[in-house]
Amino acid sequence: MARPDRNLRNFCIIAHIDHGKSTLADRIMELTGQVSKRDMEEQLLDSMDIERERGITIKLAPVRMYYTALDGQEYEFNLIDTPGHVDFTYEVSRSLAACEGALLVVDATQGVEAQTLANVYLALENDLEIIPVINKIDLQSARIEEAKKEIEEVIGLDTEGCPCVSAKEGTNIRDILEAVVAKIPPPEGDTEAPLRALIFDSYYDNYKGVILFVRIKDGQVRTGDKIKAALGERVYEVTEVGAFAPYLQPKPRLAAGEVGYLAASIKSIEDVSVGDTVINAAFPDTVPLPGYKKVQPVVFCGIFPLDGSKFLDLKDAISKLKLNDAALSFEPDNSVALGFGFRCGFLGLLHMEIIQERIEREFNLDIITTAPSVSYIVHKTDGTVFHVDNPSHLPPVAEIDYMEEPIVKTEIYSPPEYMGSIMDLCRDKRGVFKDMTYLDAHRVRIEYLLPLNEIVYDFFDEIKSRTKGYASFDYEIAGYERSKLVRMDILLNGEICDALSLIVHEERAYQRGRTLCENLKDAIPRQLFEIPVQAAIGGKVIARETVKAVRKDVLAKCYGGDITRKKKLLEKQKEGKKRMRQIGTVEVPSEVFMQILKTNRDK
Amino acid sequence: MAGIYVHIPFCRQKCTYCDFTSFPNRLSFAEAYMACLYKELSLRGKELEKSGKEVVFDTVYFGGGTPSVIDPELIYGAMKQIKNCFPLSKDPEITIEMNPGTVSEKKIETYLRAGINRFSVGLQTAIDSQLENLNRIHNVRDYLYCASLLKGKNFSADVMLGLKGQTKEDVEKTILIAAESGASHISMYALTPEDGTPIYTDYLNGELPDADEVASLYDFGRKLLKEKGFFRYEVSNFAKPGKESRHNLNYWRRGEYLGFGVSASSFFFERRFTNTFDLDEYMKCVISGFFPVIESEKVEKEDAKFEFLMLALRTEEGISSKGYRDAFGSDWKEDFAEAYRKTKKYLRETGDRTKIADKYLYVQNRILTEYMS
Repeated sequence: MARPDRNLRNFCIIAHIDHGKSTLADRIMELTGQVSKRDMEEQLLDSMDIERERGITIKLAPVRMYYTALDGQEYEFNLIDTPGHVDFTYEVSRSLAACEGALLVVDATQGVEAQTLANVYLALENDLEIIPVINKIDLQSARIEEAKKEIEEVIGLDTEGCPCVSAKEGTNIRDILEAVVAKIPPPEGDTEAPLRALIFDSYYDNYKGVILFVRIKDGQVRTGDKIKAALGERVYEVTEVGAFAPYLQPKPRLAAGEVGYLAASIKSIEDVSVGDTVINAAFPDTVPLPGYKKVQPVVFCGIFPLDGSKFLDLKDAISKLKLNDAALSFEPDNSVALGFGFRCGFLGLLHMEIIQERIEREFNLDIITTAPSVSYIVHKTDGTVFHVDNPSHLPPVAEIDYMEEPIVKTEIYSPPEYMGSIMDLCRDKRGVFKDMTYLDAHRVRIEYLLPLNEIVYDFFDEIKSRTKGYASFDYEIAGYERSKLVRMDILLNGEICDALSLIVHEERAYQRGRTLCENLKDAIPRQLFEIPVQAAIGGKVIARETVKAVRKDVLAKCYGGDITRKKKLLEKQKEGKKRMRQIGTVEVPSEVFMQILKTNRDK
Repeated sequence: MAGIYVHIPFCRQKCTYCDFTSFPNRLSFAEAYMACLYKELSLRGKELEKSGKEVVFDTVYFGGGTPSVIDPELIYGAMKQIKNCFPLSKDPEITIEMNPGTVSEKKIETYLRAGINRFSVGLQTAIDSQLENLNRIHNVRDYLYCASLLKGKNFSADVMLGLKGQTKEDVEKTILIAAESGASHISMYALTPEDGTPIYTDYLNGELPDADEVASLYDFGRKLLKEKGFFRYEVSNFAKPGKESRHNLNYWRRGEYLGFGVSASSFFFERRFTNTFDLDEYMKCVISGFFPVIESEKVEKEDAKFEFLMLALRTEEGISSKGYRDAFGSDWKEDFAEAYRKTKKYLRETGDRTKIADKYLYVQNRILTEYMS
């Protein structure tokens, strides 16, 4: 048996949003000479526009670096970035599986956050060596000792000698690199054994086909090798292997312990999926590595092209995004109001927003998205049981025996002074109180069971606004519960708009209907005729508002010099109209379909 | 038939809503400016003669600015030059805009001598405080004096809607004063707050009546005007029978016109073109013997068709199917089949003519956009 390179270190960074992970990664790259300062765009790892704008990491982005340590030896580092948001726990678990260690970055002014905890536990489950790093020590409000204490008490990690740094100013970054060398073990594995490589990510390249991001656990892979996915059928010939430098850099081979990419003219991701193991086709009986647990989407929405003729473009866009986002699910959908589109499943609301934005930006498509929904279990009177996430697929009331809705276990971390306000909110959202724990004088953990469909609307924003942004929360699916749910339809000018239908708890229907009608009234522009906006349950109207007819839309003067101007003005107006969708007789702007998200708070 | 427009870019002071090209401090340039204008007239006249195009001009319109602030002899001179350079019809309509407070008996005599037979007086509102707000130079008394000088003549009064604090009663008073002072034509415009004008600030601060309120004032004014014998023949124009402005009707019938002076627009030889907005540049250009045109665009057939409908639908007479066919050789209902189908319920048709139903004339943009590709 041949051991992998002893001077190899594979690690990732775990951090709460805003705790400075990407900046730290950039500093590490800078220090190892991976990228010269001049070439560096701010936060290199966050390569998607959306990531940089929002200051978050969504996709994992690996990078290889060389570091000459104080012991005089040169080490190869593979840093695999991880997303910080709760929606992307799945992505985190993938990067963890490719590493032997993790840096736990904690903001010296904030301490340990709820979402970080979840990822730390994931890392511990994966037997990763965790190095705590205290960041932002340059700030006036830094409480270094308290942060250390919190790490020791809440997580149980030893913080003695842990690096205290300022990623922003580049202070003590070398301490981190030395800790990586000293504490994170080199990878295990056998470079002589048959190839076993874990696929932890992939994307589609127009020239090279699918690019697989792999961690070689055993064996080696070279250009020209015949490979296959353990669970796949087809055999491919490897056309290129290499490292992330941070851009793809070909090299002759990848061996056990290493992180890199491989291309093999793979045309479809279906055959080689993330979580699967790449093996050598000559040893088809190689035992695959344990994959990841499959994630189930929990939030669903319809995505339709604004321009109905762009359906195929939308299909292409979603398929391409699916390539490197295993958590995204989609199937064709057909709405009376919106025509052909897709019903998509997401890990959470942020995930949904990101996908929507990526479709619009990266594929330049204007889309309409319907309000998010969750997956309900319907028990019909004839005994059949099935899942429904699309309100318009709900059978008639008479055929439904009862329904169940998904419940989540929610942990909210907050300074104690906001406790009352948080508990009010949870009660308002049909929550069931479970437990409350004081973590220290400044932090309390409140646990609630909440229906997921109450969370998908505005829970997160509401928590933030009620606690001035101090609270954070995390949730996990805790099963299904029987519940009195009804479908509420929205009628525009007397016609049901199926894309606006929603499933709602019976007791909340009246309130929701009223708010929704009010919001729609404001969101639908006035037209040449009066438009009644109604909410109805099973044909019974429970709320009504009216969009009054427009009374003035004319250019008062139109003489010789005004004619060209008038034409331009109308052209502009026409452009605005293109952002509208005709629903029956009513023209509706695409944003209207998200009005359901808004609740009373906006009033 | 075709029209001639002459722009006089001078005024005493700028009104708060004004975004026309006018120079309140440069009245002393008037003589030099008019000399250039005579030159421009002759340049264009020669060009027209050379082109061999057969055309007769049926209307002349002096607009501004305030044409009545300059020496009336300059207007007389301009008219003389126009007659020298262009073939006028037998009985042309010749209009001049004037502001109360700038007129005298002698001025009007000179205008009449020049052949002017129609006057357009800027009353705007019969409430003095509102006139002051608009930075108008006159008050209601000045208007009444002006109207008395025009007694028995064919004149129009301008009325504005949407002024700060304006009520129905204010509009009523204004219309009654205009009607009783002898006007045979009333233009009733909704104020359009343009970015860059002082009144735009009022608009941004929500101090002007909103669109619904303006629509109410308009509906009220329209009814009152009808009672007083003024019939709407275009969105903002009302006239006693036979007193419609021929010059303006020519715009809406997509007739040709030539514009002279700084910032003036023309539609001629299938092109729309506009003169420079800069007074000095205008004068330099013309003195050197060049047309002071800064923008010129040929109107393509598809655009022309839309323009035809867009302009006709502003009027009471509406679209003439025959007129459209004569111009383009096709049927407008076929050329715009989809839009016609969608908007038919907002249109009224009688024989050859199609107009927008009364109720929808003031929201016509919603209908017109359907006709754009």
